[in-house]
Amino acid sequence: MSAKVWVLAEYRDEQALYAAARRLREAGHASLDLYSPYPLHGSDEALGLRRSRVPLLALLGGLAGIATAILMQWWMNAIDYPINVGNRTLIPYPAMVPITFELGVLLSALAIFFGVLGICGYPRTWHPVFEVEAFRSAAVDALWLSAEVRAEEAEGVAGELRRLGAAQVATTTGEDA
Amino acid sequence: MTPPAATALARTDPLEQAPLIVGTPTDRVINDELLDHVWNPRRGWTILFLLALGGTGLLVLGVGVTFAKGIGMWGNNIPVGWAYDIINFVWWIGIGHAGTLISAILLLFQQKWRTSINRFAEAMTLFAVMQAGLFPLIHLGRPWFFFWLFPYPSTLGAWPNFKSPLMWDVFAVSTYFTVSLLFWYLGLIPDLAALRDSSKSKAQRIAYGIFSLGWRGSAQHWQHYRIGYLLLAGLSTPLVLSVHSIVSFDFAVSQLPGWHTTIFPPYFVAGAVFSGFAMVMTLMIPARKLLGFERVVTERHLENMNKVMLATGLMVAYGYLMEHFMAWYSGNPYEAFVFANRREGPYRAVYFLMLFCNVVVPQTFWWKKARTSLAWMWIASILINVGMWTERFIIIVTSLHRDYLPSSWGMYYPTWVDWSIYIGTVSFFCLLFLLFLRFVPAVAVAEVKELRHELAHAGAHAGGREGGH
Repeated sequence: MSAKVWVLAEYRDEQALYAAARRLREAGHASLDLYSPYPLHGSDEALGLRRSRVPLLALLGGLAGIATAILMQWWMNAIDYPINVGNRTLIPYPAMVPITFELGVLLSALAIFFGVLGICGYPRTWHPVFEVEAFRSAAVDALWLSAEVRAEEAEGVAGELRRLGAAQVATTTGEDA
Repeated sequence: MTPPAATALARTDPLEQAPLIVGTPTDRVINDELLDHVWNPRRGWTILFLLALGGTGLLVLGVGVTFAKGIGMWGNNIPVGWAYDIINFVWWIGIGHAGTLISAILLLFQQKWRTSINRFAEAMTLFAVMQAGLFPLIHLGRPWFFFWLFPYPSTLGAWPNFKSPLMWDVFAVSTYFTVSLLFWYLGLIPDLAALRDSSKSKAQRIAYGIFSLGWRGSAQHWQHYRIGYLLLAGLSTPLVLSVHSIVSFDFAVSQLPGWHTTIFPPYFVAGAVFSGFAMVMTLMIPARKLLGFERVVTERHLENMNKVMLATGLMVAYGYLMEHFMAWYSGNPYEAFVFANRREGPYRAVYFLMLFCNVVVPQTFWWKKARTSLAWMWIASILINVGMWTERFIIIVTSLHRDYLPSSWGMYYPTWVDWSIYIGTVSFFCLLFLLFLRFVPAVAVAEVKELRHELAHAGAHAGGREGGH
């Protein structure tokens, strides 16, 4: 398998960026990505991304929290260490609501936070795109496109991106850890 | 895509609103202006930091004395078993609530004006909850056994009693802190990446590189990030309402006249938002000037916050009125006595100070002149903070100090240790806030850029008045 090369192109205009992404996708390049300092509306469509799985994780986390809270309160206060207060019920459902709600929220939030980081592969200390010094503007004010292509294709893709209005184009190699 | 923003339409309206972003800066200008306070520390920061550090010494002293000699060093004793510790706990937690309200609830309502102030308010939430958490811990008596609060398989063979509102508090406050921290940090990641990529020195680049977790602004990541952020906001919204409701259950679930009322949860939440917005104002007005945020924290933001304070102030006033009404309407002599005692008893000066600060002062915000006067809104915000503190004092101390049996009546006076710990937490809060202003972007830079983008688009649709692109 030949070495992969990252072709990076900076765009000043959102529409030009999307047009470039669409053109490369039509040409059969699958490993594309767009970079911006803030979320762009329409990048999902330009890249043809599938729906995020984060909401599913949030739901599972929330259900896990609710189940844990109910089982915990029931087992600890009614089975393992029952406290009889004036012969009141050991399983008072209304009094279980606050902790059940809080634990549901807590586990759901943890699932969301670590789910987002996990799906995106963070934390990471290095990525091939960081090898290009000019790419620093991606977190400040510029829009970038990256294509991971075979070494022999790099020249052609770079030329294509220039024709599609890139302000600058750079290539870099690197093993994606 | 958002519908044409309300701001763009409002421009053609005679009732023209002040803009959310002054001028038409580029992303680079926004980036440089909003990150400047990190790269170029402001003069006076060190002095303020040292002052806050000195004040934090009072906290160490107060807590040290408490641990060495016991809670007898505090002024609370039967009949007033709860005093400064719980007053300050409730006060601090309440202050935190505005942060979550601004960042989560206003996000869900698509209130664009939240964008410039949410980071600031979220940081305030975190630091306020940290102060709040301290008070129940040091009030434990044997604080080194704090972990008994959590359900863990101990050799005692005992489990916590989950039917106790104090246990609900443990879960509510620890969940609130954790979720606020996650929400704050998730929002911060793109801005830390912006700091990394605008840094001049290698050390800064590495430090912010580590804290930004390697964020590279990929569209694939933004997709997960955006939905995750929105979901966290969706979770935080009921959470923030639940936390102060649960705090109010500490009182409302008891049998004590003055505490045992169903109005407490909404009344506490309204008061929390009221005091929290006041604290945001107290901090934001000087910080905005000092850090040069006038372009993104405009008159409109401040005016909107004053309107929220007016609204929540009215809710709190309604709470005071309704408490007295219910005391009369219930026909319960003990209930009626508690409220008569608030008005006419030995703590009446505190009660009327509360009414002045919380009910009279916010009424000035009916006038636009008051809503747009920096000096007045700053003074008013401090008065409201004082007022909300006295409200907690009134609720806790006046309900406890004269109960059913006149033979067990007593008075409560704070000791120097009480004051020392309270002033210490205010200083510690300021200390954390100063560190935040020194090292972290105090305005959500990525969100302001996105807002600028949206406003420019909306402007272009409305006839290219703002240039667009």
